[in-house]
Amino acid sequence: MSLAASADPAIVTPPAPRGGGPGGVAVPRKLRSVNRSLALAGTGLIWIALLGPVIALLTHLSWHAITSSLSAPGAFEPLILSVQSGAVTLGVLVLLGTPLAWALARGALPFPRVWETGVLASLLLPPLVVGLLLVFLVGPYTPIGHVLSGLHLSATDTFLALVIAQVYESAPYYVLGAQAAFAGVDPRLEQQAALLGDPPGRAFRRVTVPLAAPGLAMALAIAWARAMGAFGAVVIIAYHPTALPLQIWTTLQETGLPSALPFALVLLVVALPLPLAAYIWSARARGRRRG
Amino acid sequence: MLEADVEVDRRDFTVLASISVAPGERLALFGPSGAGKTTLLEAIAGLVPPRKAMITLSGRVLTSTGKPGIALPPWQRKVGLLRQDPGLFPHLSVRDNLLYAMRGAQDLAELGELADALGIAGLLAAMPARLSGGQAHRVALGRLLLAHCDALLLDEPYTGLDASLRRTLTDLVISLVAERRVPSMLVAHELAETQAFADRLAVLDQGKVLQTGSPGEVVLRPASRRVAELVGYAGFVPVPGSAGTVAGVHPDRVTAGSHPNRGLVLSGTVTRCRPAGVLWEITVRTSSGSRATLVARLPEAAPTGQDIVLTVLEPPCFGLDGTAVGIGESAGLPR
Repeated sequence: MSLAASADPAIVTPPAPRGGGPGGVAVPRKLRSVNRSLALAGTGLIWIALLGPVIALLTHLSWHAITSSLSAPGAFEPLILSVQSGAVTLGVLVLLGTPLAWALARGALPFPRVWETGVLASLLLPPLVVGLLLVFLVGPYTPIGHVLSGLHLSATDTFLALVIAQVYESAPYYVLGAQAAFAGVDPRLEQQAALLGDPPGRAFRRVTVPLAAPGLAMALAIAWARAMGAFGAVVIIAYHPTALPLQIWTTLQETGLPSALPFALVLLVVALPLPLAAYIWSARARGRRRG
Repeated sequence: MLEADVEVDRRDFTVLASISVAPGERLALFGPSGAGKTTLLEAIAGLVPPRKAMITLSGRVLTSTGKPGIALPPWQRKVGLLRQDPGLFPHLSVRDNLLYAMRGAQDLAELGELADALGIAGLLAAMPARLSGGQAHRVALGRLLLAHCDALLLDEPYTGLDASLRRTLTDLVISLVAERRVPSMLVAHELAETQAFADRLAVLDQGKVLQTGSPGEVVLRPASRRVAELVGYAGFVPVPGSAGTVAGVHPDRVTAGSHPNRGLVLSGTVTRCRPAGVLWEITVRTSSGSRATLVARLPEAAPTGQDIVLTVLEPPCFGLDGTAVGIGESAGLPR
């Protein structure tokens, strides 16, 4: 057959039947549908496994536990504190992390690998270790601690300490995400904006940021979720004032799992909407661009 | 008026060009890929730093490496650059792309007029991702014109578009350039494209301008053998009776038969014959004088091995050093 085909290229050879014998075409089709259902089942399993903890949380919560835990005096103070410090953390990330991410994406820094390694280090270090090391960096007996106390500030067991811990835990997520978002913007479009009369700052505002916005929003949302849930570094340098994750931890220690669960629900409710909104918004923005 | 005297270092050679384009004039740069055409445009647009340059546009100095040194950034040059990739901003609608460079609202009437002229009036609300290649180019062109650039640089803008679309867009640019009286330059590696656009043609090779002239002149009277090769002369045959002189043979400027009063008559043997469009591309090994190979495109096929007599119409002739010595008779062709 292959000989005949090579002798006369005008003859189109039909695809060889797979499986062989009569009905050789039908068997693979059936196999394919089995394959597809297996893949679907596998994906579903993974999805359920990933969401398992959330499902467990929802099934183990009792209405009574929620009302009694959340009606205690001062029950919502940690929540308010977490939201406040999280907002400050996001502000710090946007102000300091955005220029760094842009410079990394455009290769504008000397020794880019060194900078990237620095960002990765804070991602790869266990948060607990980061917390311990922060004591040596900003603790009361360090040079930075001295400067801070001269300003009547302290970076241990204060709101400032909480923000510092959250920044360290969430910064790499934002910087790496924003770097990817900026890298996705074609530099020729920025050049085009310059040729049309925009100085770099205006081109950044009118072209780079809008084009990177979906990715930036996702990076910021993930950083928010990380900051809200920051625990390892927080427990070392900011045990007080009590943020939401620490409240869960202390409640668990003092009164047990059932009364800690409602706060876990609160944490999810606070931490998740922003990432979800960012996801939906960036999907829409991308869809709009496709016209 | 755009005047550029530029030296830009490239990896393997230096682009060394001096050009001047009057308002409303259309200069085309023709040359093979990698001749330095784009580098020259980018130096004018301020995207590539030249080693030595003096670039002025409408009396403004854009680049000067003399004293005092001046290098206006791209956003202050008012030089419009249109490339093969139209570079539309994907997050903005066609209207917002067109309005990108406009400051103030007084030009909205102009937007409407230009959109009509470009045939994109119905697309103003569309996003760039929805546009066809030709539509995207029209929008990019409109955006440049609404930016009121003082010069229009087109860098292989039509590559990848079909022939009829190219013709329409070329005609459109020609009429708009005439209307707005801006100096314009087109860069292309296809001769026909540059000829359709330009009223002056510069041939660029290895960073140097080899010849500047009218689109017809450059092709019919190439200044050197290298220019002749670049514009499509495919064979060089020795001129009988003048040692060292060769006549350039363009495949499309050959006719069958002996017409001594119209050019150089050659005889030879057909070594290959194959169709080329509606013509036949015939490779001939000449037998008169010293042997050479030439290619001719003729309306009639000729079987391989057949003897054939051809007349090369008014061939440009080149001396030993490759410079032109004249055309046909003036170069001393025997009658």
